[in-house]
Amino acid sequence: MSLLRKGPWWLGLAVIFMGAVCFYASTQLSATAQYAAIGPGMFVAVVGLGLMGLGVLLLIQIARGEVFEPEEAENAIPGQAMDKRAFFTALLGAIVPALTIETLGLPVAAMLAFMLVARAFGSRRVVADLVTGFVLATLCWFLFGFLGLQLGGFFPLAGV
Amino acid sequence: MDTLILLLHGFEVALTPVNLMWAFVGSVLGTAIGILPGIGPALTIALLLPVTVSVGPVSAFIMFAGVLYGAMYGGSTTSILINTPGEAGSMMTALEGNKMARAGRGAAALATAAIGSFVAGTIATLLLTFSAPVVAELAFLFKPADYFALTVLAFTSIAVVMGASRVRGFVSLFIGLALGVVGIDAMTGQPRMTFGIPALLDGVALTVVLVSVFAVGEILYVASHYAPGRDDIIPIKGKAFMTRDDWRRSWKPWLRGTALGFPIGTIPGGGSEIPTMLSYTLEKKLSRHKDEFGKGAIEGVAGPEAANNAAAAGILVPLLTLGLPTSATAAILLAAFQNYGLQPGPFLFSSNPELVWGLIASLYIGNFMLLVLNLPLVGIWVKLLRIPRPQLYAGILVFAMMGIWGVSGSVFDLGLMAALGVLSYVMRAYGFPIPPLLIGMILVPLAENQLRTALAAGQGSLAVLVETPISITFLLLAFLFLFLPVLLKRLRKTA
Repeated sequence: MSLLRKGPWWLGLAVIFMGAVCFYASTQLSATAQYAAIGPGMFVAVVGLGLMGLGVLLLIQIARGEVFEPEEAENAIPGQAMDKRAFFTALLGAIVPALTIETLGLPVAAMLAFMLVARAFGSRRVVADLVTGFVLATLCWFLFGFLGLQLGGFFPLAGV
Repeated sequence: MDTLILLLHGFEVALTPVNLMWAFVGSVLGTAIGILPGIGPALTIALLLPVTVSVGPVSAFIMFAGVLYGAMYGGSTTSILINTPGEAGSMMTALEGNKMARAGRGAAALATAAIGSFVAGTIATLLLTFSAPVVAELAFLFKPADYFALTVLAFTSIAVVMGASRVRGFVSLFIGLALGVVGIDAMTGQPRMTFGIPALLDGVALTVVLVSVFAVGEILYVASHYAPGRDDIIPIKGKAFMTRDDWRRSWKPWLRGTALGFPIGTIPGGGSEIPTMLSYTLEKKLSRHKDEFGKGAIEGVAGPEAANNAAAAGILVPLLTLGLPTSATAAILLAAFQNYGLQPGPFLFSSNPELVWGLIASLYIGNFMLLVLNLPLVGIWVKLLRIPRPQLYAGILVFAMMGIWGVSGSVFDLGLMAALGVLSYVMRAYGFPIPPLLIGMILVPLAENQLRTALAAGQGSLAVLVETPISITFLLLAFLFLFLPVLLKRLRKTA
């Protein structure tokens, strides 16, 4: 039975879900601003319907046993099984800035992110990575600040 | 003649010491990122966007042009010496170039790539110089419906050409379209798709999306499929530069590559992959040394490298004249224009001649600089590859967060960075191409605006969309593009 085939069904479902969200958002837009049959919601509705249709097509492809070949990347073996631990360590590195930048400031947030990503790639020199990250971020903080960017306080928690 | 005078003015702008310095900075940066893995020209320009706060538009674009061309040069270096083409356009170079390097002819391969890139870049820039004003004039004839049809063509072609599957290409495009409509509707002032989040009222910035999908997505993907210690750099043996025979075998492929690369580069979705593939196939067919192909034929390096660089100049034609980006790099350049409140298109040539011609002139200068930077210094460049990968990717993330934080200062955008990084991870892992997402996102406002203007003028009748020959042609081409993959498959088989 092709319908029971193992495949990334969730991909198709996720695309349909995204389409549904868009379509729902379009129905929330009032039609009063419409002129000549096209209002602000029309494009959103078309995009939503398009995504839902594409999601269905994806599901059909998956049912037919479509092979999803990963994109090529340097330093990576696409066919290799996913290293979940590395993935989540790196992801944590990407989330940390959003959580810490307002209290700890850019240099410290960047230091933590640097260490986590380096760790995800197999580096075990935690202290050295922390130092490297901090030095790199501090240099950039001064350089880009000098160029006129608003990068926030150096260490807001201490009021600096 | 006018064009020549304008170009001379452009040189006046580009040859000021300050702008020469920016061209140099751009070329150096471009070469470096072309050599380093995990970071390409689009991402670099996105990360450099914050400097637009303090640097004038002319200098910034001169630097960006250096990055764009420099990345091409750098990409060929890694293709030849370590067989890792950083981007699709260098794949064919790796095929023959790496074999040449293994046979001890690395210097000749690098030379034919660099000189070929220089020749192609120069000719293509000349073509750009003389064709862009003409196209810009033509664009004045475009009505809103024509512009809308043009964006449809751009959407279809990029969704079809990039990536392995049309469905996935279109999924990527539509996600981009959805991201592009977030924010306050320009025509009615209504917030769309903001779900009550104030941070979304201004829309999602292309910089945030681009940095997230390229930097964070790449980091997540490579980290979870990491293969350490595979780079073995082939030392450049023998100082032997190109021999007389090498020159004789290279110059025709350079010219043919340019002839293929430039026009295809100007077409939406043309990119650099197709011209390099075509060039390789053509050289293989025409060569008198067919037996050498696959073992290190110099024609197989010279042709595709020229095609690659010519295509890079080609993408500037629709970008400057129509405001139509045809690649991820072009999309970010468009975002840079918008940062300065400039709208590329036919009016740019009359309103900002200094910028346009300064940029074009700097392409000539950049090409020359790159030739000087690359040929003698290749040994130094290759040392960049010694940077340990864990720290390299960690550094890329630091720059990514700094780029986002520096532009918006928004914690929400930093959170979005992580979320879009996961989206881009999934897209990579399941073979959804990234460029359609970016093109869709940046072109949505143009497409929607023109569609609504056209329909309003036609009082809601859809017939207005197919009233002019221009719009009919574009829509027809867009339809035909849907069948391109079948053709390409055949081409790949013969390659």
